[in-house]
Amino acid sequence: MDKVHISRKIWIRLAVIVAILLVAVLMFLIGKQHTILLDNKTLEFGGETYKAFSIVEVQVDKEDQLELAARDRDKAVVTGQRHSITVLYMDANYEEIEKTWKFSVPLGEDMLLLSVPALVGGAEPAIWLTHYEPPVAAAAPVSEEVVVTEDAALLGDF
Amino acid sequence: MSPLKETNWQKVLHFLENNTVPVLFLVICAIGIPLSGYSASYLAQEVVVRISRNAFLIIALLIPIMAGMGLNFGMTLGAMAGQIGLILISDWGIVGIPGMVLAMIISTPISMLLGWGCGKLLNMAKGREMVTSYIIAFFMNGVYQLVVLYIMGTKFLPIRSSSLVLPRGYGIRNTVNLIGIRKSLDNLLAVKVFGISLPLATFAVIALLCIFVVWFRRTKLGQDMLAVGQDMEVARDAGIRVEHTRIVSIVISTVLAGYGMVIYLSNIGTLNTYNSHSQIGMFSVAALLVGGASVSKANIGNVFLGVTLFHLMFIVSPMAGKNLIGQAQLGEYFRVFVSYGVITMSLVLYEVRKRREKSRVGRELAAGQTAEEA
Amino acid sequence: MNMKERILHFVHSFGWPRIIIGLFLLLLFIAAPIVGVKVSTSLSDTLIRFGMNSVMVLAMVPMIHSGCGLNFGLPVGIIAGLLGGTLSLQLNFTGGLSFFMAIVLATPFAVLFGWAYGVLLNKVKGGEMMIATYVGFSIVSFMCMMWLLLPYSNPTMVWGYTGSGLRTTISTEGYYYHVLNDFLQIKIGSHLVIPTGMILFFALLAFLMWAFLHTKTGTAMTAVGSNPVFARASGINVDRTRILSVIMSTWLGAVGILVYQQSFGFIQLYMGPFYMAMPAVSAILIGGASVNKASITNVIVGTFLFQGIVTMTPSVMNSAIHTDMSEVIRIIVSNGMILYALTRKSEATR
Repeated sequence: MDKVHISRKIWIRLAVIVAILLVAVLMFLIGKQHTILLDNKTLEFGGETYKAFSIVEVQVDKEDQLELAARDRDKAVVTGQRHSITVLYMDANYEEIEKTWKFSVPLGEDMLLLSVPALVGGAEPAIWLTHYEPPVAAAAPVSEEVVVTEDAALLGDF
Repeated sequence: MSPLKETNWQKVLHFLENNTVPVLFLVICAIGIPLSGYSASYLAQEVVVRISRNAFLIIALLIPIMAGMGLNFGMTLGAMAGQIGLILISDWGIVGIPGMVLAMIISTPISMLLGWGCGKLLNMAKGREMVTSYIIAFFMNGVYQLVVLYIMGTKFLPIRSSSLVLPRGYGIRNTVNLIGIRKSLDNLLAVKVFGISLPLATFAVIALLCIFVVWFRRTKLGQDMLAVGQDMEVARDAGIRVEHTRIVSIVISTVLAGYGMVIYLSNIGTLNTYNSHSQIGMFSVAALLVGGASVSKANIGNVFLGVTLFHLMFIVSPMAGKNLIGQAQLGEYFRVFVSYGVITMSLVLYEVRKRREKSRVGRELAAGQTAEEA
Repeated sequence: MNMKERILHFVHSFGWPRIIIGLFLLLLFIAAPIVGVKVSTSLSDTLIRFGMNSVMVLAMVPMIHSGCGLNFGLPVGIIAGLLGGTLSLQLNFTGGLSFFMAIVLATPFAVLFGWAYGVLLNKVKGGEMMIATYVGFSIVSFMCMMWLLLPYSNPTMVWGYTGSGLRTTISTEGYYYHVLNDFLQIKIGSHLVIPTGMILFFALLAFLMWAFLHTKTGTAMTAVGSNPVFARASGINVDRTRILSVIMSTWLGAVGILVYQQSFGFIQLYMGPFYMAMPAVSAILIGGASVNKASITNVIVGTFLFQGIVTMTPSVMNSAIHTDMSEVIRIIVSNGMILYALTRKSEATR
């Protein structure tokens, strides 16, 4: 009897730990922040040319609507992996078209480059959504920061 | 009934004696508020912000007091665990409420481990738990620095974000910007009443914790803790695992302190990597004592009264000092002095009362004996 | 007793933290020449720091003897010393006389503060250490206000632009700077300097303390510490003896900070004395003292070990791995030592 009791206790504890771990994973997924750079630039890829729009309006999820002229780049900061993008543009016949795409962002990416012309032009996702590495500024070496570990002894605010 | 009955005069004295600190603080605030020249709505807003920021941390102190272990200066350990959680989520880029929850989850095992160690040590130092927990906080501060300043950012504990790591390539910078989770809980459900914005979501979390504490008192474990706090030997004879109960009380307090620290820092918005935690223990203890708590007795009412009075004094004194003497610095030193003075006074009153109680019990026993003999 | 038992007995009586610390220091001295640190420089630095700090460590002895525990309230004495030092400067005494006058002027404060502090500690028997810590913090923060307000006027001490309020650090140059360090100083080679005066001064105080502990009052003090009930039964006034011990500790703290300043070159006011009790407390514990037992040997050994580590770690570490971890090591070692002493089973109940 006693033995059964103990093992049940252990099972419950294990279940709780697993549940907490699952919550942690969930939090990681839905809380992960991604920066999406929206690029309106002519893109040539595999012989195909996706020409930049002279003007285009882009909206990611429910974020602010962004207006991009040709060669413009702006960014949208989003959390989670599944997103939608709405593009308002003029086609060759000067007709206004609004279209929405759904896309998902790889978990590990902090910053991505989204090419609006390639998206509208119907290219593969791997072409219009690419990994982006922010350029490392070749600035003068940063001076070392002095670490202050001294206790301020209540002099600060609280 | 007690053979030594109190007269009315003694009752008044007794009340004043039991509430010396809050009464004193009321007087200080009553003098300081007009001197500072702050408006009532400004002060009210500040107090609301500070209650939402600090109440959780201060409530974390209640449970070890129940178990008779005094003021848990070791809550700093929980604060460190919370900070480690926050550093990690900042590095991973997890934001908003999920970020806060994740930081809390990360802090939990660290807090539990540290709290368990702290409880073990305090069991080896019965009768001087407070000074020991105070030194543990200092000692662990060294270990925390070792981890955060020398191990984080190396291959043992990689940190990718260059905004977190010192230019030399390892160790965390002096300040970590918590913009991703800044006020995310406070702004979740903020309501304006009379021009004062109330962070209802934060209050809800604090209310939940209060309910937990009240409920906890009634559980078997809570009752055991109260028994251990009353008299360890009696509790042991009643079959309570005294050492274990004491450790659990410290573990709970440490874990709660870790959560409290996440809430506190999310409200402030920046983490002072090497300072935030070391101040928090001292401030929380002072605020609790200002609310009329003692080393052996504290309740939720003390927490809220304490935060309000302590922070009123805290906000008001630099400005009052400036208007009175022309030096804001003086007001700042004044509030430091008052904080420490309050802790000192409460500790002294507690010890004096304890001794008086002992001699009173002695006298009563003696009186009972003579009555029996007669 | 065979060899193994003897070693075990030694380890047990000496305590493993002390052995680790001793070995660590030995290791540092061995490693020093290998990584290119001059042993002679390190040794004289250690000696100087020994002289600077030893009197403050000595201040722990009387209170431990009378059963008041570790004097975390050392800042009370330090404040008395700061008052003596600043008054001596204010009255424009110079050179050796200023040092002597600083001690003389600090004495009444030390006696007064020590008496009040002692009376308070008598009311809180059993909880002395925690309260001592906070009494120290309170007086330091109270004096922060006083340093701003007291009417000091010597231009080397007050803020230039307002003409009032003391500076955070005041140079002792031209006053008592190095009066003990330079007295009978011995130089061996170009690097090894022995601050004879400072060490002699400590030796004098340590001898007086030793002699005192062997007088009737001194033995009474030890009796109060080891068995207060017995002491009371044999007609010793426990409370008076405890107050005397606190006054002595406080006075030694005052003298200790003056010795420290004359070598360091600066008077540090405001939050300066805040954490000064910690190094002194851990030094005497490292030297083999416990919460209720301490001797002059503990003071000497402990100060040497502690200051040795504090001096040696930064230089050796810096040369060996190009990182200065000395601060972290100092925090862990000193607080770890205090923690060890507080949690020893045999001392848990007094």
